[in-house]
Amino acid sequence: MDTSQYLEIFLDETKEHLQNLNTQILDLEQEPDNMDTINEIFRAAHSLKGMAGTMGYKRMQTLTHDMENVFSEVRNGTIKVQPEMIDTLFKCLDALEEYLANIQQTTDEGTNDNADLIKVLNDILNNEKGGTAAPAQVKEEPKAAEKSTENNEKEKWRQIKINDTERMLVEKAYQDSLKVYGITVYVDEACVLKAARAFLVFKALEKLGEIIVSQPTAQDIEDEKFDLTFSLVFISGNTKDEVVAAVKSVSEIAEVYCDEFVLPETEKKAESETKKVSESTETKEAAPAAKSSAPAPVAKPDAKKAVSKPVVNRTVRVDIEKLDGLMNLVSELIIAKNSLVSAATASQSNGEGAGVNEQIEYLESVTTNLHESVMKVRMVPIESVVAKFPRMIRDLSKKLDKKMELYMTGEDTELDRTVVDEIGDPLMHMLRNSADHGLEPNDVRVANGKPEVGSIFLDAYQDGNNVVIEVRDDGAGINTEAVKNKAIERGTITPEQAENMSEKEIIDLLFLPSFSTAKQVTDVSGRGVGLDVVKSKIEALSGEVEVKTKLGEGSTFTIRLPLTLAIIQALMVVIGNEKYAISLGSIQTIEDISPEDVKLVQAKEVIHIRGTVIPIIRLNKILDIESEKNDENGRMTVIIVKKGDKQAGLVVDELIGQQEIVIKSMGKFIKVPKIISGATILGNGEVALILDANALI
Amino acid sequence: MDEVKVMDEQKRAESLNRPIEYDTTQYIVTQLGEEQYGIDIKLISNIVRMQKITRVPKVSPYIRGVINLRGEVIPVISLRLKMGLSDDEITKKTRIIILTLEQHESIGVLVDEVKEVVTLDEEHVEKVSYDKDDKAKFLSGVGKYDEKLISLLEINAVLAESEP
Repeated sequence: MDTSQYLEIFLDETKEHLQNLNTQILDLEQEPDNMDTINEIFRAAHSLKGMAGTMGYKRMQTLTHDMENVFSEVRNGTIKVQPEMIDTLFKCLDALEEYLANIQQTTDEGTNDNADLIKVLNDILNNEKGGTAAPAQVKEEPKAAEKSTENNEKEKWRQIKINDTERMLVEKAYQDSLKVYGITVYVDEACVLKAARAFLVFKALEKLGEIIVSQPTAQDIEDEKFDLTFSLVFISGNTKDEVVAAVKSVSEIAEVYCDEFVLPETEKKAESETKKVSESTETKEAAPAAKSSAPAPVAKPDAKKAVSKPVVNRTVRVDIEKLDGLMNLVSELIIAKNSLVSAATASQSNGEGAGVNEQIEYLESVTTNLHESVMKVRMVPIESVVAKFPRMIRDLSKKLDKKMELYMTGEDTELDRTVVDEIGDPLMHMLRNSADHGLEPNDVRVANGKPEVGSIFLDAYQDGNNVVIEVRDDGAGINTEAVKNKAIERGTITPEQAENMSEKEIIDLLFLPSFSTAKQVTDVSGRGVGLDVVKSKIEALSGEVEVKTKLGEGSTFTIRLPLTLAIIQALMVVIGNEKYAISLGSIQTIEDISPEDVKLVQAKEVIHIRGTVIPIIRLNKILDIESEKNDENGRMTVIIVKKGDKQAGLVVDELIGQQEIVIKSMGKFIKVPKIISGATILGNGEVALILDANALI
Repeated sequence: MDEVKVMDEQKRAESLNRPIEYDTTQYIVTQLGEEQYGIDIKLISNIVRMQKITRVPKVSPYIRGVINLRGEVIPVISLRLKMGLSDDEITKKTRIIILTLEQHESIGVLVDEVKEVVTLDEEHVEKVSYDKDDKAKFLSGVGKYDEKLISLLEINAVLAESEP
């Protein structure tokens, strides 16, 4: 079977299942007796096995098969969950992730058999099973009995009515000594892509023979208009077992009922009979059949309901490139709209086209809404990234032999897809940092009167046009003296420089390349590549990192990221005869002050506003502009911008107004100074540069 | 490098089923002050009239700024300043030649005037020796055409150095 077209689905679903397994096994470690969790794990492992099998990844299938066996015994109560077992299972998941990574790169699973893992799994099985095999067998029997009584009612294919042409086909098949089967397939109730599964079943069967009737119709099945089950009449030369095996090779198929199809002799009689049967069975059977279809008769039906997945939203998978294309079009539209606005303003000042304005305002609101919707389409919750962290912290805790707990909030905070994809590594690094350098060893914590178990917090929330992610720990905090000494030792700064450095400046040293304060190099962190990489990555996403620390109480790393990357609201200003844009996100207020209010403090110009002293920056000097406007003309326009808790006042000549601008790259050729974050195209086609207020402060 | 270029031409000529012309290159001739410079036509994607150039602060003087070319922001450099001539005088004849480099990056080059397209074969091109002359490193050769001398620009060298 050509499975390449399903590779995408396979990769996505496998990732989801693996993530799910990771989370569930973590839960299992906490509550080894939780039947819901065990069932969920079993189901995910089972789906994984099926999917790997369908795609022909034999090694992956073997490994998941053995994992499933272990889970199955746990579910039956013959094996107790033990810490070593959890470790083994996590190792298995890592191995599976490795397979997946290989598949993603080469479409081949690689050659690692992971024989050792499989052996450990089998050892677990054999050791524990030896004593308890007998009770397990007893359990098997009633299960089988139960099944046989259910079978007749579940074989819905018996209710299929056939018409004359189909009848002829069946008769012809009998003559050709082919077998005719009735098949009823139950799709797993957790299955998301029912139609795709059904399609795969059809595909698998078509290799063995011919499907003559299906209920619901093939069209309805394709449109997903069926409820977990469909029935077929199938002509084939193969045996029943082969047919069943073919259907079962498709993943997420819960049950298959198959038997030889007997042509009803007297059509009418049969029809009325089947109708009766179908009516009575359907009303009675529909609900319980669906529930008990998954092979988990041991579980209480109520408990199962609780873990079943929430109703899945209607979603479409879209290639990110298509969204980029859409986004570019929206950008073009906004530029076109801006030029309309400026054209209309010009003609209006000539006393023409007063009615145009209204229409333009309408256009403006439409483009703004369109922009917002497109942005929302690109937004995904950061959950997909942070979900792997609890597992990571657990592993770190074992490796470092420190007790620690990770608390996460705001996993549903949404960010642009491209940002979410990039943010994982920096966050992981910061968490590792906290775990390794931040938290003290347990005995030190106890000696310092802290709770023995260290806490790491990961909080995400939206703040205006930004998303803030904080990584916080209640560890030792950053020892600025140690940082200072280290920096001197490495020749980064001179002892004289060190004397005059503020605490903040010292902390900023941490972000320099190859700086690690850990006394010991561990394989968790401390190889000297670290915070500088974090910082450059975040800055590449137009974000910023801030550190706050208190010796003995812990440190907080704050990442601030823009919600959107391509289009921002900006304030347009004039300096000399040049126009510049300043992102509205960093602007706090705009002040009109008289030149006398400017005071000199330490040879720097400052102003007093509502009790705070704010340094002012004359943009014309920074940008080398000859500005004709002088202070004698009267008032000065000062834009107060903030970065974290720092403020600055930017002196400009004139304000033009607020505008939605599209950020354009300036290419790699010009080495743009840091204070320019990009360029934008104005309504009249001119290019204006965007000032990065953060770099100015 | 030259060999590769020739090969490409050969291939193109073959594919178009035309007689193969060896060793000829087309240049666009531009005027800079009193001198004429030729730019390989294959590198040129567009020639546009002078338009408002937005200055970028804190960059080398020969980088004039950026322009908007059909929705893209493109840097523009002054060939005159780069070649050590006096500053540009913007006239009606001033043009911006848009070059497309590797990785699809576009750069505008400001010239006084665009004259014509000439086809030179190799025997009319003389290599320049690398002496101490600053300009020489930007040239791939000097071509003779209608009694005129045309300095042929090695664009990669012109653009390679972004320091002043």
